Amino acid sequence: MGSGFSSFLAISSTSPVSQETGLGDLPESVVGSVLVHLNPQDICRVASINRAFRGASSADFVWESKLPENYCSVFKWIFKNNDDKNDNVLVDLCKKDVYARLSRANSIDGDTKKVWLHKGTGKPCVSISFSGLSITGIDDRRYWSRISTEESRFGYVAYLQQTWWFEVDGEVEFPFPVGTYSLYFRLQLGRPGKQFGRRVCNREHIHGWDIKPVRFQLATSDGQQAISQCYLTKPGAWNLYHAGSFVVEDSKSPMKVKFSMTQIDCTHTKGGLCVDSVLICPK
Amino acid sequence: MLKNLNSKHIQRFSYKYLPQFPISPNSPKLGFSRSQIANYRSNFPTTIMSSSKTIVLRSSDGETFEVDEAVAVESQTIKHMIEDGCADTSIPLPNVTSKILSKVIEYCKKHVETPNADEKVAEEDLKSFDADFVKVDQSTLFDLILAANYLNIKSLLDLTCQTVADMIKGKTPEEIRKTFNIKNDFTPEEEEEVRRENAWAFE
Repeated sequence: MGSGFSSFLAISSTSPVSQETGLGDLPESVVGSVLVHLNPQDICRVASINRAFRGASSADFVWESKLPENYCSVFKWIFKNNDDKNDNVLVDLCKKDVYARLSRANSIDGDTKKVWLHKGTGKPCVSISFSGLSITGIDDRRYWSRISTEESRFGYVAYLQQTWWFEVDGEVEFPFPVGTYSLYFRLQLGRPGKQFGRRVCNREHIHGWDIKPVRFQLATSDGQQAISQCYLTKPGAWNLYHAGSFVVEDSKSPMKVKFSMTQIDCTHTKGGLCVDSVLICPK
Repeated sequence: MLKNLNSKHIQRFSYKYLPQFPISPNSPKLGFSRSQIANYRSNFPTTIMSSSKTIVLRSSDGETFEVDEAVAVESQTIKHMIEDGCADTSIPLPNVTSKILSKVIEYCKKHVETPNADEKVAEEDLKSFDADFVKVDQSTLFDLILAANYLNIKSLLDLTCQTVADMIKGKTPEEIRKTFNIKNDFTPEEEEEVRRENAWAFE
């Protein structure tokens, strides 16, 4: 009897009735208002706290605030090559699934481009493989070759042995949401390879890039332009060379961007350069 | 007599708003019948009860708070009640205790009183007020969130939710459960489901 009494006391002292409001007492809709202030990764992380958090982390109004304002156009643009039933797919998906789909790297234009949502800003990034660019003399095997490598999103890069006239042009059309975007060329001085499972970089053909700088040009369909030049440096690693920036003010119509990188001073040759892709990402 | 009014209201009475009407010398006392008051109300809806335009709010524990209408309508819920004509005597708020209601009123007062004239100084002053306002214990903070949600005060809801979001940013679910004493009510199967459906965010 005495032990029964003391165990009763033990029970009541270890589980006090709390009148205070805790985070676990908030209803789902209110939890949603808190989640709006978190980034997508944190929202997915807190889904496993309890049932209210799981429900709130799937709420449409939470994810709508993370998607770009023209996410419908972006979604349709990316999946336009499939049949018409994809129009209905957008209606059936909850906003969280739309975000999940768009945050993966989706291939468009026959695998020459990949698009995904930038983790920080929720705006799309576009990466254009060298195979989607016009490279002067790309088919001339004396100058250019294609190398298979894991160091590229696309699995292949273009390697320049030597040339007089170096010119890479490209253009892309995409419904960018409102914001500022930067365009980069992803390049490496040196030929990537693998030796005994380790990454190596063959620098024997690198020459000519320190004589004259490389010229970048950018132009958009609404009249923005940027011109810059810089020297290619830091051999042995992939670098993003900033070609220019552009601003999107109206997301209703897709933006066309033309860009180029040239080094056409024919008094000297240049070579030993690997061209992977062009990257457009939000600032 | 004026049965609907208590001494509090009579203190605020401004006689100039009452229409003049003849009083016969034979009428026993100076007073207004219920129908006369109702008639005046239809012409001057707010002047009899609240000539200085204040609203009375009643908390769940029976305490009353008198606030300017401009402050009270920071809450969309109260604003709609006033517009729908439900704010004749006092507005009962059964979901909000007096402790929380007084804090909410303090917040609304500050935000209504801050002038827009001197933008920079006023903005910084408001920011530091907001920062100090949320330096409360957890229980009060969550009560404020519930009150802001019920009363539909967007700026207060944003402020308090942002504060809580900053507390849970970057923490693992287990850490959050410990910090806030939340019970894990998932079955193991549900937990596995949740992990699978959110895996895409961590790839």
